Amino acid sequence: MGGLLQWLQSVVTLNHFFVWTYVWKYTPAPAIIQGAIVTVILSVISQLLGTLIGLMLYFLRRGRIRVFRISADAYIWFFRGTPLAVQILAFYTLFPYLHISRPLRAIDPFSAIGFTHGPGPIFLDSFLAAILALSLNEGAYMAEIVRAGIDAIDVGQLEAAKSLGMTYSLAMRRIVLPQAFRIIIPPLGNEFNNMLKNTALAAFIALNELLETGRLIGDANFASLELLVVASLWYLLLTTIWGFFQGIIERKLNASNLDPGAPRPQWWQRAFGFGQGNAGVATAVPAEH
Amino acid sequence: MAMRGSTGAYTNGTRLMVDARDVHKYFHNNEVLRGVNMQVLRGEVVVVIGPSGSGKTTFLRCINHLEKINRGRIYVDGKLIGYRETGDGKLVEDSERNIAGIRAEIGMVFQRFNLFPHLTALQNIIEAPMQVKGIAREQAEARGRELLAKVGLAQKADAYPARLSGGQQQRVAIARALAMDPKLMLFDEATSALDPELVGEVLKVMRQLAEEGMTMVVVTHEMGFARDVADRVIFMDGGIIQEEGAPAQMFSASSNERLRTFLGQIREE
Ligand SMILES: Nc1ncnc2c1ncn2[C@@H]1O[C@H](COP(=O)(O)OP(=O)(O)OP(=O)(O)O)[C@@H](O)[C@H]1O
Ligand SMILES: [Mg+2]
Repeated sequence: MGGLLQWLQSVVTLNHFFVWTYVWKYTPAPAIIQGAIVTVILSVISQLLGTLIGLMLYFLRRGRIRVFRISADAYIWFFRGTPLAVQILAFYTLFPYLHISRPLRAIDPFSAIGFTHGPGPIFLDSFLAAILALSLNEGAYMAEIVRAGIDAIDVGQLEAAKSLGMTYSLAMRRIVLPQAFRIIIPPLGNEFNNMLKNTALAAFIALNELLETGRLIGDANFASLELLVVASLWYLLLTTIWGFFQGIIERKLNASNLDPGAPRPQWWQRAFGFGQGNAGVATAVPAEH
Repeated sequence: MAMRGSTGAYTNGTRLMVDARDVHKYFHNNEVLRGVNMQVLRGEVVVVIGPSGSGKTTFLRCINHLEKINRGRIYVDGKLIGYRETGDGKLVEDSERNIAGIRAEIGMVFQRFNLFPHLTALQNIIEAPMQVKGIAREQAEARGRELLAKVGLAQKADAYPARLSGGQQQRVAIARALAMDPKLMLFDEATSALDPELVGEVLKVMRQLAEEGMTMVVVTHEMGFARDVADRVIFMDGGIIQEEGAPAQMFSASSNERLRTFLGQIREE
């Protein structure tokens, strides 16, 4: 009985193996901050490319060319049906076969621009493999989100634009996509929140982003758990800041609702993830005959 | 039906604004238009009436090729719509750019307005002139404000559609179509989605357009408008034109049983 109590006490206070001072020491460390910056860069680039890929997939799937339609469906099926971790590892493993790993490592642009605080260099081949896998994977998810956004726009909009002499591409660019974009914004924001955390899988391929940086420092200092907490604090900070921005952007764009009078979630609801119940729901207008 | 070569009888000098010949249209196996023949003279106002599902909307949409036709031909101002005639007399689908070019000259007003909700009234109006015709912003805006004044909405230039009543939205939609300086205006039940008290303001704008000599094809259930404004009334039923003539004759002196039944039903409403 006494032994159990002692065990419980040591678990609760984490006295013997968890040292809080490590957490306070490493949370603001330059190496960790650099890792967080790499995570953000990776996320932003992958989200942008993923969104473009998703848009492209939408038009391929809606297009007239059967081979393209089938390829796009197959692409989405594949990237949504296999683990992101596998995709990241696969691209990283592929690069040596293409004989591009070494030349890429030799370039080392990150050191050149002052990313020298980490536990090691940021390998360009790891970075590119991660970007490739993350954006291709994200594209498959964005394709669905883009489709939902565009399909929510009444066909009467496209027809009205065409009746004024606009071509399909002009009508899309000027009339349909700007409206669809407002519907896409909330789920896109959630995708980016996921992206910030999914980049941690790049730790698998020796990319010194936030998690890998924390892991290396933790192992070297016998403080693995402390550094995982440090990394988690940073992920929480990043997603919270993003939630704050998401709230501002959505208010600016009257996101997901074209009626300016409708109530919208407060920024704090966005930041902490409450009150998102009907994000992305558009009021569909029945088409006329 | 007479064959017309690409150099045939119809040139831009014709008096015919719309010349529809033997137009057939299927939705899957459902033949919705079963050989529609209709000619509209330059400056003429033609009102199309008929029961629900008779193909009025479909026919109107064929005129600017929002629907593809399966047989027959439609010429607008002498130009074949939607297709090109090859040397051996076969029809091939026209290029998107050419179709867009022809549509730019045909205004269309929809039952549900279809204003662009992310643009203000003025922006709705100047969008196509600027993007399609390449007109400079100042010119487009000046003309846009003129048109807004014409439809009685000079004060609403900066209002978004969601802040306008149905009647106001429809008047903006008419101004938007007019901004392209169309040769022909198509109206598909422009007042059917409106509350009764808002119908008058839209009809007034349409009447004014007719008086100014605009060529118009108007699908409507407003028999008063048909009687007063139409040069000719066309009664469609079952995908063909059953009867056409001057309003007075159509509304009182017709011997067509279907037309009389239809008019009887309308009066009861
Ligand atoms: N996109 C479509 N797909 C399949 N069938 C259609 C389509 N559009 C119209 N139809 C059918 O074609 C027929 C004619 O429709 P249309 O809308 O042209 O009639 P209408 O005369 O305009 O009727 P209303 O007075 O109700 O507007 C109807 O039976 C309708 O169900
Ligand atoms: Mg109709």
